[in-house]
Amino acid sequence: MSSPRKYLRFPLSYRAEHWVLVATFTTLAVTGLVQKYAASSISEAILRILGGIETTRVIHHAAAVILMLEVVYHLGALGFRIFVRRTYLSMLPSVSDVRAAIQALLFNLGFSKVRPQQGRFTFEEKAEYWAVVWGTLVMVITGFMMWNPIATTRFLPGEFVPAAKSAHGAEAVLAVLAIVVWHIYHVHVREFNKSMFSGNLTEDEMIEEHPLELADLKAGVAERPVEPSALSQRKRVFYAVFGLLAAAMLFGIYAFVTLEQTAITTIPPAEDVVIYAPLTPTPFPTALPSATPQPITAVTWDEGIGAVFQSKCGACHGGPSGLGGLDLSSYAGITAGEGNGPAIVPGDPEASMLVVKQSEGSHPGQLSGDELALVRQWIEAGAPEN
Amino acid sequence: MRTRRVHGRLLLGVGVALMLAAVLIGLLAEGAAAAEGRGPKPSRGLPIPRPLAASQGIDNEACFACHSTAGLTTDLPSGEQLYLTIDRATYDSSVHGQQGYACVQCHTDISGFPHPEVTARTRRDFTLQKYTACTACHQDKYQATLDSVHQKALAAGNSNAAVCTDCHGAHDVQPPAQPRTRIPQTCEKCHSQIYNLYKNSVHGAALIGEGNPDVPTCIDCHGVHNVEGPSNSPFRLFSPQICARCHADKELMAKYGISTDVFDTYVADFHGTTVVIFEAIAPDQVTNKPVCIDCHGVHDILPPANPDSTVMKTNILRTCQKCHPDAATNFPTAWLSHYRPSPQHSPLVYYVRLFYQILIPALIGGMLIFVLIDGGRRLRNKGRGRGDE
Repeated sequence: MSSPRKYLRFPLSYRAEHWVLVATFTTLAVTGLVQKYAASSISEAILRILGGIETTRVIHHAAAVILMLEVVYHLGALGFRIFVRRTYLSMLPSVSDVRAAIQALLFNLGFSKVRPQQGRFTFEEKAEYWAVVWGTLVMVITGFMMWNPIATTRFLPGEFVPAAKSAHGAEAVLAVLAIVVWHIYHVHVREFNKSMFSGNLTEDEMIEEHPLELADLKAGVAERPVEPSALSQRKRVFYAVFGLLAAAMLFGIYAFVTLEQTAITTIPPAEDVVIYAPLTPTPFPTALPSATPQPITAVTWDEGIGAVFQSKCGACHGGPSGLGGLDLSSYAGITAGEGNGPAIVPGDPEASMLVVKQSEGSHPGQLSGDELALVRQWIEAGAPEN
Repeated sequence: MRTRRVHGRLLLGVGVALMLAAVLIGLLAEGAAAAEGRGPKPSRGLPIPRPLAASQGIDNEACFACHSTAGLTTDLPSGEQLYLTIDRATYDSSVHGQQGYACVQCHTDISGFPHPEVTARTRRDFTLQKYTACTACHQDKYQATLDSVHQKALAAGNSNAAVCTDCHGAHDVQPPAQPRTRIPQTCEKCHSQIYNLYKNSVHGAALIGEGNPDVPTCIDCHGVHNVEGPSNSPFRLFSPQICARCHADKELMAKYGISTDVFDTYVADFHGTTVVIFEAIAPDQVTNKPVCIDCHGVHDILPPANPDSTVMKTNILRTCQKCHPDAATNFPTAWLSHYRPSPQHSPLVYYVRLFYQILIPALIGGMLIFVLIDGGRRLRNKGRGRGDE
């Protein structure tokens, strides 16, 4: 049964387009869906591998640009075939495709004995091709709105941007599912179709899938005959027209990418406030002014010596409960001294504990040299009260 | 020398008696507090330090004999005066004074008179020399502060950075959150401008004006001892979750009729998605995608109905323009204002989603049925041992 005869289905340029589409579609699907389903742990793992969300977005955008360039090329190749070669428009859907689909269903269900006989592109292939056209259109338009929300909202209500985001994500899910169900089944599961690798189909495969095309090929009527002179003239016109169109489309892609600087690249300005702005601290009570020394009119407790002790020693030994039980606020206190003895010995400064302590020079309430001399003089004089 | 020994013994006797009394009073007070179910919170995990046994130190009476004198000062090389007067009543009513802690439990360098020479050149130096005394009992709190923005600033040479006593006081330590307004007022001491913003915000006004216990004070967002620098990236990325602690709490928000969808709707949007991804995989990296505070304000958050609110309809374009300087009139509605799309709010988005919710199952389902029927037919044919047809 097998025949060595092969029929070229996809020339190299067709296959190249297909693989560019596979690469960009897959990249866009992976880098896009991880953003749509960012909360999933799979997405997180992929985002990590791709180098984070910002890098993932750069990859997504780069793949989108390559896909758009591929669209421009595809339109050119298509235009060439339609306007220059004037090939049959074998990809256009028609009523016969609907009929073929119904026929296929009836046959599969056992209601009909014959499979639909199809031409160069089957209804399954046409459905997929036009789904890609539709999907790409939706993705380019909604992608533009998300990429350029400021430009978009100059002409459209703001709500179009989140709506575009919803459509972009949902369309992506639809596209991926359609590829998984429709494309994988028809091209890889039902029969493994290798024409996108080798470019060829065998005669058996042609009989199976494209019997009408095979008949045309055999009859030599698959392509319209072209007259070389007319062809070269049409080429000249086409190159000029498409050159302009392509330039316009490439400019469109350039604009798509560079139209607006959507947001600042720095951290948004925070609150305008001085962080360290201390309250004026509650001032501490100012040190008490030392009592104006009473002029010492006589070397007695009442006439001056008492005031010296009051100002210099009163802080700690200023009352009956004074430190160490010593009260230097009154004559009675100083003469009584503390628990282990009198502070002063009238007539004998050197035996007076107070003088001994003060002479060491490091007591907190240190008397000045003059004051200490006065105190010595007072003790020598018998420490008179008045 | 003999006199000094006698003097010492006398002090010791008085000290022992007072210490015992203090310990007893302290224990009783603690028991009473425990019975009420609250009371001073000692640092967790550490033995509660007891008021000192008298044999180990000097009685407070000895200290107060001099230090209760008004106007007691000493001059510092900087020309400032170091105030040495301690108000007895203030100390006795402080958390430590109430428990009968001895002065020398913190002032461990004081063993008698004369005191060690003051080496601090300024009052601030003196504080910085002394505040680590707190670590003897509150080691865990101190350890927590080591990661704080304050300690980092201090280590970097900023002597104004807050240490224990700047917030808690030294001799006048009181329970830090009683009343709750005490918390922002504590921070106000250094951050007065921020406090002024806070006190007029929806949160601050409720706390300060109404004593509302539900609203956050400074520490609910910033933490207490481990206060993080709010401008660093992890804090920024995490901050929406701080807001969500309350704003996603259904019970709490129901009291005020506030939607709890705010966090989920934020995360569902481009800004929130990005921030959440960053938070998950690169918390140290910087992203300029906005968090709650970028639109709502930081300390001056106002309710959205307030005419001055940054998210008020009349003001929101200006808020968007902080990051999107070229944004025009229609731009703000690109953000769904925390609403889930519905026929009332953002109908276009709602119907686009609905369209795909119907289209995807219908189309993919149709494809599946078609493919399954085709596959079934082929399997049957193979089963019959025939190629096809």
